[in-house]
Parts: sequence; structure tokens; C-alpha cells
Amino acid sequence: MSIAYSAQLPAAAHIPGNKGMWAGILCEMTEFAVLFAVYFTARVFFPQEFRSGPDHLNLLAGTLNTLWMISGSYFVVNAVIAIRQNRPAVSLRYLYLVMLAAAAYMLTKYLEFQWNGAHGVTGGNGAFFTVYYYLTLTHMVHVFWGMIGLGWVILRTRQGAYTPADHEGMESFASYWHATDLVWLIIFPLLYLLR
Amino acid sequence: MSHKQIVAVLWVILVVLTLAGSLLGETAEPGYALMLVVTLTMAIKGRMVIDHFMELKHANRLIRRLMQAYFYVLPLATVLSYVLSTQQL
Repeated sequence: MSIAYSAQLPAAAHIPGNKGMWAGILCEMTEFAVLFAVYFTARVFFPQEFRSGPDHLNLLAGTLNTLWMISGSYFVVNAVIAIRQNRPAVSLRYLYLVMLAAAAYMLTKYLEFQWNGAHGVTGGNGAFFTVYYYLTLTHMVHVFWGMIGLGWVILRTRQGAYTPADHEGMESFASYWHATDLVWLIIFPLLYLLR
Repeated sequence: MSHKQIVAVLWVILVVLTLAGSLLGETAEPGYALMLVVTLTMAIKGRMVIDHFMELKHANRLIRRLMQAYFYVLPLATVLSYVLSTQQL
């Protein structure tokens, strides 16, 4: 199984996408590490607020956004697999699914913030809610940048720019999208589950 | 199994872990047991995405180690801050 699997992956020690994108991804991960450090510090200083905070958030919205993020990641890895098999039409369909997942994330975020407003959940309610808005809004901005990049990758795929031998641009976008997914996989339990 | 089949299986596992996590978060009593399950799930989900979705399992060593380290350091920091925070209650 492992031989068949590894044979379908790029050569060992390969850098997915390009180095420039990885510099960007490591900056993104560092930026969020700082925000997570704020969360950890605030949690120690305001234990009661962080214990009760998740009860005031919309868990359904957090769960749905996790599903949109991991599904987007799943679709984009399939888009990369398809282009490696020289199937650009299939790859394009998966890229549209990534865009659909991103749009669903944005719609869920909008509805969640509407719900927050109706239930008096604002950034001024205490340290937990300040950290909640900081983390989720920053993540939303990164998803938005990703959607712009995705639009470009869709355009280039339609133009036939990617081949099994050269699809660095698509791999770069895929790596960025996975990194944004990874950040959400930490945000979700910290804010919505950990009481 | 092909790469495509493996990521399909992992996607299903990620969905199940997410739904199970939400169910636990909603119903379980707050405490160390819940915290450990939630934190461990965070680490496992992150590793699945890094190794197989990001395809870093056999990729450039520096990038792979940095990304994998993130999902050791962050879960450990989560446990530490939770323990310190609970002691203040």
C-alpha cells in the first residue's frame, strides 16, 4: 500500500508549490501563533470567562465552518491529483467545489455574526469575546485572500496553464488553503469546544 | 489504496471527528477529560491534513518538521494554559 501511495506523490523532499508561498504560509502560521499566545495568556488571567465563553457562541456555525474548511481542503487535494493525471476538466470541477465551500464558509460567518448581534455577543463582552473576534475575523480575512487566489487558479486552469509536469501555481494555492484549514482546526476547539 | 482513496477516507474521518467533537463539546461536563480528548483530536486532525492533504509526509524536511511541530506545540500550550486556568477557578 505504501509503495503504491508514495509512487503517486511527488519525489521525496519535494517542496509543494514554491518557496515564496511557503515563506508566506510560515508568516501566516506565525501570525496566528501570536494570536493563540494571546488566547493562552488571557485564558490563564480570565479563567471564568473562558470556561463559560463557548456556551454563548453558536456551536452549529463553528461546526459548519469546520466542515466547509476540511471539505475545501479535500476538494483542493483532488484538484491537484486530477491535474497530475492530465484531467484539467475534473480539476476545474474540484476547484469550483473549493469556491463553493469558501462561499458557504462566508455565508455561515455572516449568519453567525447576525446571530451574535441578536444575542448580544459583542467584542466588548470580555476577554474571551475580544479574542474570539480577533481570531475569527483574522481567519476570515485569510479565507478571503485565498478566494482571490482561487479565482486566479481557476482562470489559469481554464486557460490550460497547468500540466502534469508543471502545476506549481495550483500546488502553491493548495498549500495556502490547507494552512488556512489547519489554523481553523485549532480555532474551532479553542473557542467553541474547550470549556 | 491510491492517494485519492486515502484522502477520501481521511475526509470522512475528519468529518466524523468534527461532529463527535461538537457533540462532546455540547454534552460533556467541562474538565480535564474533555480537554484532553478535544486537544488530542486537534493534534490528530492537524497531522492528517499536514501529512496527506498537504502531502508533506515525504516532502522537504524543514517544512515538514516545522508544520508537524506546530501541532505538538499548540496542543501542549492548550493543555498548559487549561491547567493553569483551571487552578485559578
